[in-house]
Amino acid sequence: MTSPTTPPARRPAGRRAGASEPSGWWAAVFVAPAVLGLAALYVWPFLSTFLKSFEDVPAFGPATFVGMDNYTALLHDEEFWKAFGNSALYTVIILLGVPLAVVLAALIEQAGRGRAIYRVLFFLPVVTLPVAVGMVWRFVYNGDFGLLNTVLSWFGVSGQFWVADPRFTIYAFGVVGLWMSLGINMIILGAGLRAIPKDLYEASALDGAGRVRQFVHITVPLLTPSIFFVTTLSVIAALQMFDLIFVMLRGVNNTALADSKTIVYLFYEKAFVQFHQGYGAAIAIVLLLVIMLATALQFRLQRSWVFYG
Amino acid sequence: MVVPFVWQILTMFKTTAEATRFPPTVLPETFSPHAFETFFSTVPFWSMFGVSAGALVLRVAGQLAIASLAGYAFARIPFRGREPLFGLFVLMLMVPSQLFLIGQYELIRGLKLLDTLPALAIPGLFSAFGTFLMRQAFRTMPKDYEEAARLDGANPFQVFWHVMLPMARPTLAALAVLTGLYSWNDLLWPLIVSPSGENRPLPVGLAGLQGQFGTDYPTLMAGAFVCSIPLVIVFLVLQRQFFAGITSSGLKG
Amino acid sequence: MKSKWTAAAALAAATALLTACSGGGSGAPPTEKITLTYANWSEDQSPAMEQIAAEFEKANPNIDIKIQTLPWTEYWSTLQVGAAGGTAPDAFWMLADHFREYAKGGQLIDLSGTVKAAGIDMSVYPKAVSDSYTYEGKIFALPKDFDTNGIWYNKALFDAAKVAYPDDTWTWKNVQDAARKLTDKAKGVWGIAAPIDPQGGYYNTILQAGGQIVDSQGTASDFASPAGVAGLKFWTDLQAAGVSPTLKQLSDTEAVSMFENQKVAMYFSGAYWALRFHKNPDLQGKIDVAPLPQGVKRATVTSGIGNAGYAGSKHPEELKKFLAFLGGTRAAEIQAATGTVLPAYKGTQEPWLKAMPEFHLQVFIDAVDYSVPLPVAGNASEWQGLAAQYLTPAWNGEKPVEQAAKEYQDAVDKVLAEK
Repeated sequence: MTSPTTPPARRPAGRRAGASEPSGWWAAVFVAPAVLGLAALYVWPFLSTFLKSFEDVPAFGPATFVGMDNYTALLHDEEFWKAFGNSALYTVIILLGVPLAVVLAALIEQAGRGRAIYRVLFFLPVVTLPVAVGMVWRFVYNGDFGLLNTVLSWFGVSGQFWVADPRFTIYAFGVVGLWMSLGINMIILGAGLRAIPKDLYEASALDGAGRVRQFVHITVPLLTPSIFFVTTLSVIAALQMFDLIFVMLRGVNNTALADSKTIVYLFYEKAFVQFHQGYGAAIAIVLLLVIMLATALQFRLQRSWVFYG
Repeated sequence: MVVPFVWQILTMFKTTAEATRFPPTVLPETFSPHAFETFFSTVPFWSMFGVSAGALVLRVAGQLAIASLAGYAFARIPFRGREPLFGLFVLMLMVPSQLFLIGQYELIRGLKLLDTLPALAIPGLFSAFGTFLMRQAFRTMPKDYEEAARLDGANPFQVFWHVMLPMARPTLAALAVLTGLYSWNDLLWPLIVSPSGENRPLPVGLAGLQGQFGTDYPTLMAGAFVCSIPLVIVFLVLQRQFFAGITSSGLKG
Repeated sequence: MKSKWTAAAALAAATALLTACSGGGSGAPPTEKITLTYANWSEDQSPAMEQIAAEFEKANPNIDIKIQTLPWTEYWSTLQVGAAGGTAPDAFWMLADHFREYAKGGQLIDLSGTVKAAGIDMSVYPKAVSDSYTYEGKIFALPKDFDTNGIWYNKALFDAAKVAYPDDTWTWKNVQDAARKLTDKAKGVWGIAAPIDPQGGYYNTILQAGGQIVDSQGTASDFASPAGVAGLKFWTDLQAAGVSPTLKQLSDTEAVSMFENQKVAMYFSGAYWALRFHKNPDLQGKIDVAPLPQGVKRATVTSGIGNAGYAGSKHPEELKKFLAFLGGTRAAEIQAATGTVLPAYKGTQEPWLKAMPEFHLQVFIDAVDYSVPLPVAGNASEWQGLAAQYLTPAWNGEKPVEQAAKEYQDAVDKVLAEK
């Protein structure tokens, strides 16, 4: 797998353009700490998990090799498919936040002096402890006395048990996830917006284009690299969702948990609660494959819609 | 956007009975400090705060150093195998972090670092994301300064340190805030590398509070508030640099 | 502006490094003093644990006990990783449903020799509890406390509805009738809380209906038997009659909190809530406890926390000494006098009763006579975890109880069949 952000243009090894161009030896010194750390703390644990996915690993004691058994069992496990569906649904909801972030970022860029305040307001959820966010939203979502149902009741809408009814839990998490990620997405998109040359807008204004037309024909196309970047990061993060479900459903005897697990939560439960580490490892590997596929797909699709000016 | 926070702050001053009433009151009937009293008498706030802050500083400082060095090499020094190696970094971004837990723990144990503050910070020192971000930042910089310095006889480290790193300062600020966030929020890892119970950070205290005061919402809201506010303050102080950093960094895509 | 920021960061980093180094340096003990860690998951109980540790340290000046309280949600994952990696706490609380995995995996220190050498009389503990910490004839944990179940009830709500308080003559029918009369939808009050709760709830009613949870060989469960179904129906009927908050409400707000918020009049649960209720100012003088009702017969499940030691501890001898102390009278008396929990040690329960005289706590001690151990066969934490998934449709009235019980039984039996 090569870097997705740069085309794999291979440079001739050891090329020296002028005597002063730094040598590979310097590069080794520069990357050594990062590479060693990555190898010891990420690549090796990853490989050991990969091997475990072919073993039956009891909580304690020696593992036995079982070949593809874990994977076969996984494919027939209803719980896995449900978790898979939940993760996919959550990801879709999070992705709906990207267009929202584009519009909001564009609006805030025009807000002039108020810009700083809006930016901070949207960013507050990003800098708040996830455990704290979970607690606050659990309270807001409470079916009996939560804020959300109170507000709905003013409009004559009957409330729901947002985090106790499996029909709604994933949507409820999706809203919180959106709320938490909107700030960072907007900032990244805002940075992209400021890189768009002002004269383009001036020229189109002379042609009589209104704000909306400018947004559709100039802003969005020129922003596509940022949109692509935000989308890719959002998909990766959304498929790894874990914190919210952990804080909001676990440890409070919530019967909706059984139907609301995400893939990473299921991995955690198998590996760390039920002592089935091999099975858990297989779940993680499948998730990794899904993320890689999704990312590869995005890079394939980007050619048709991302505009590199 | 801020409605949940406002609701949280209003609730902190209510009594438990008032907080669970329907329809709820907007303003607390009487300002009751009981939530804060309960929180501070249950959670050893200052010692946990110290641990959280210490781990954060270690992790941020270390990651900035390691990621900017590697990011620079990936952006500007051609070497054999650069692209596949960088691809490996990007791949690690996609792996769920829970998957690394056991291996990372075994390494920390092997280094005899369990129960220490550095143990909390070490895995976070090496960040694929940080390296990625710094690479993007260095890639967009003009080559002129670098070449000028090189012609003056500076070695690559001197070029990096005196010329390139100062130009990357906004990105460093952005990375510092983001890394600080991750460090501050960590819950499971500190528990695992701290078997004797020393060096426990704030999220641990907050999670314990939820187990103990199930629906004493005012206390939970107060705890959530107190544990979050230090980082919010740091963010408010650094926000200008942070936003500038994001803007000038490669995060644009 | 920018350079100031860098300088501040550098300074902070330097300070942190210094602090870290000085923190690491204090590890070398000047004398032969050793440290044992003792883990629990309850902030409520940690003051009593501290007191017990202090007492032990006084008698053993060379041993330092460090109490650590972990959040419940992280307790088992932390313990598991620690045990597998050789760094688990020396002593820790154990629960019967997790016990087998740890004992089978050789993670627990064998206390059989200690019991013999120290002359500990195992008959001072409730047999149901001590049996649940025995594996292949060896003792791996000494009971710390025990709990049986009763009906916690809100006297104020009973008075308001003019219903007589529960007593030891009550049958299932009395509970159902009272629950109906106590329910006042307009006020948001329900007669009883009917969650999917094995230990406080349906295990007891299945036993009261004359059934069993898992057979004596631990190879098959019995939820779909007539008695099993009757025991489950006790709860689903209460749900169907609308005299309990719905499952969804009980997921948002746990049953115990509903009871504390005075929204339910009756709550079937254990002795372990006594201290929490006692300390809650809103409940002063309003609540009490009565025995569980009779079905075909009287029954309650019982279980208790065990104090276990880690097989990989660096100080096994001191650890055994500490565990023996934890299982002894003094530790039991401290737990009782502080009202913390009902201690397992026979004859030490009196101070616990006296610590909270407003409750008829004797109910829990009397219940020992008709108590049955909590089932712990197989990978119990796994099959118990399946309950919500399979039983929810029955509680919500979406599936006949018989069918849900059969499906749950099949799922449990599959787990029990794992080696």
